[in-house]
Amino acid sequence: MSRKVLLVEDDRVLRDSLREALSIEGYELKTAASLADARAQLEHLALGQSIDLVVLDLGLPDGDGQALLSQLRHTSSTPVIVISARDAEGQKIQLLDQGADDYLVKPFGIGELLARMRVALRHRGHSAERALLVYRHGPLEADLRARKVLLSKVEVHLTPTEYALLARLVRQAGQVVTHRQLLTDVWGAEHVDQTHYLRLYMGQLRAKLEVDTADPQHLLTEPGVGYRLAESDTTD
Amino acid sequence: MDSGGVWRYRFAILSWTIAWVSMFALEEKLDLANLAMLMVLASALSAIWLPGWASVVISAIAVSAFNWSFVPPKLEFSVDLYQNALLLIALLLVNWIIAGLMIRQRSLAEAAHALASSEARLRQWGDTLRDANDPIEHASALRAVLKETTGAEVVVLVMRSYDVRSCDATSLQVGEPNNEQESGLSLCLKEGYALGASSGRYEHLPDVYLPLRGRCVTLGAALLIGFRHHPDRKQLMPHLQALCDQMGGALQRSFIAAKEHQAREQAQLQATRNALLAAISHDYRTPLATIMGAASSLYQQGDRLSVNQRQRLARGIVEEGERLARLTENTLQLARLDAPSVSLRCDWESAEEIVGAILRRVRNRGNGARVTAWVEPNLPLFWCDAILVSQLLDNLLDNGLKYSPDDAPVELHASLESDNLLLTVSDRGPGIAPAWREKVFEVFQRGDSLKSDSRREIDRGAGVGLAVCRAIARAHHGELSLRSRREGGCLFECRLPIRGHGQQVPDTNVPEARK
Repeated sequence: MSRKVLLVEDDRVLRDSLREALSIEGYELKTAASLADARAQLEHLALGQSIDLVVLDLGLPDGDGQALLSQLRHTSSTPVIVISARDAEGQKIQLLDQGADDYLVKPFGIGELLARMRVALRHRGHSAERALLVYRHGPLEADLRARKVLLSKVEVHLTPTEYALLARLVRQAGQVVTHRQLLTDVWGAEHVDQTHYLRLYMGQLRAKLEVDTADPQHLLTEPGVGYRLAESDTTD
Repeated sequence: MDSGGVWRYRFAILSWTIAWVSMFALEEKLDLANLAMLMVLASALSAIWLPGWASVVISAIAVSAFNWSFVPPKLEFSVDLYQNALLLIALLLVNWIIAGLMIRQRSLAEAAHALASSEARLRQWGDTLRDANDPIEHASALRAVLKETTGAEVVVLVMRSYDVRSCDATSLQVGEPNNEQESGLSLCLKEGYALGASSGRYEHLPDVYLPLRGRCVTLGAALLIGFRHHPDRKQLMPHLQALCDQMGGALQRSFIAAKEHQAREQAQLQATRNALLAAISHDYRTPLATIMGAASSLYQQGDRLSVNQRQRLARGIVEEGERLARLTENTLQLARLDAPSVSLRCDWESAEEIVGAILRRVRNRGNGARVTAWVEPNLPLFWCDAILVSQLLDNLLDNGLKYSPDDAPVELHASLESDNLLLTVSDRGPGIAPAWREKVFEVFQRGDSLKSDSRREIDRGAGVGLAVCRAIARAHHGELSLRSRREGGCLFECRLPIRGHGQQVPDTNVPEARK
């Protein structure tokens, strides 16, 4: 069964070209040019129908995407990928903090969008359990059930904090996790502004898990936004 | 009475005393006419020092006393000889004439003195205004000068700018007039002529209003409260008006100077903007031309092209599209950093992370695989806007890749240098001539007067990329400079203060995770 995608984008040319590109990849596309349009489409879904993923542009004529995101989160865990221009930095991070799954900065290639969509669908999709608990990327393996981290089959000793940080990233492997989300989940909500905790612990993790810390392959930085653990090799 | 006055009287009394003593002493030896000469002498001397009325009265008394004392018959006022009577009358008239001449001479001297002092005041006031940077600041000084000259209470109203002509926030008022006086000031300012006593307009008013006039414009007004009752108001009016007009002229000059300055700045800004736009549009044209060419070829000849040809054209479009995106990003950032109140989104950042992220981004591009990076171990965190510093490194690496051979490495190093983070990007390209090492950072350095053999350097420096890099470094209170390498090629050095602008270094004792 093909996945249903709602594309909310006000620019007609971009909307049309994305629709064609995604249709070729086998997605079933619904499009909306405004927030009101998108809301109406979500409300009038035929019985038993659902949207599997929303691609949401931030620069819409009738307001920001926040309302739509909270409406979506109210009823479901439908993955949301935010598309933003560079100057909507703050809003983008806000949406990620509130549960959007990932983001793309305009202009982007179709390959990037497809990769983000694939990861998002995998996390919210049918094979969720497996993908969340076992991570494998190149020489790095993490098994959250056994609380084990292996590098080239050799167990790596991590401190509890390092492990907690890695585990949080593994649960959302391939997706960006914002500073705020990491700080809240690992240290607690009262530490959300202490981003330097992350810098220090991520540095320690890179020292233990990366071959060249200046050229990391697993623990990727999204400057100004958060961190992303490279997408797991595990296939569904 | 001041001490000068006292001395005048003393001198007068002394001269009369000496004259009378001499007359009594010499009465036996001199005849009456000669004695009378001593009287004339004393009278003339005392007239120098005494006020006119006193001289007249004293002369009359003295002539009577002379008659009593010396003119026969003595000790009575009658005169027995006609010639003695003539002598006495002549004596009295000469004394009075002398006194009259003295009075006139003295009043002339006083008038000359008054004129000199008002001239001195005008000159001094002119000097004060000429040296003033902002004549508006001298509104209270004008008030003091007018007050000193007239003794009246003074209110001064001056305009803060040239164009606005009403007594609102754009004017400055020194002193506290009542409502009627305030409307008088407004009227005086609006009409540009004097009002009140001795002005020919609204003569019944107790106060006098004087305009501060410039050329063809009135830039303020002064109010002299109760000036109607001043004894010399008629004589003082032209002088006061001259003082006020000096102020008006000074105000006008400063407004014109300010306008001229503003216009010049505007023109300069416009010139900069035009140069920037020219540079940017030049930078856009090249990728746009490639995109247009490839896309129109796909559109019109698509069915006749091989799959490989189509792929190649499409890849060209994608790559040039990315270049345009970076260019747009740089242009926007340059405009943003150029704004007077640019705000950075700073945080404690890790150089390792920024280098790692940028390396990944650059390597995803066509020729980015030859970039290598080295980060000094255990670098402290540094205070910066991560997105901006990423953009800086991105531009420097892009620049290095563009201007060095396809097989030569481009190196990125991050290390600590006292209180600075030192980021260097080096390439093995042809390098840049010393004369151009500063100019590559200027957006608009696309000289027309340049020789064709330095074309390559010009192309290299032209555009916004390096200008943005320097703007980013400076926004962080750091610096970006260019050196040539001994082994050939360019070495860009960027120094950023670790602690930004005096931030507290964060505590490295990080608590453990809560679980």
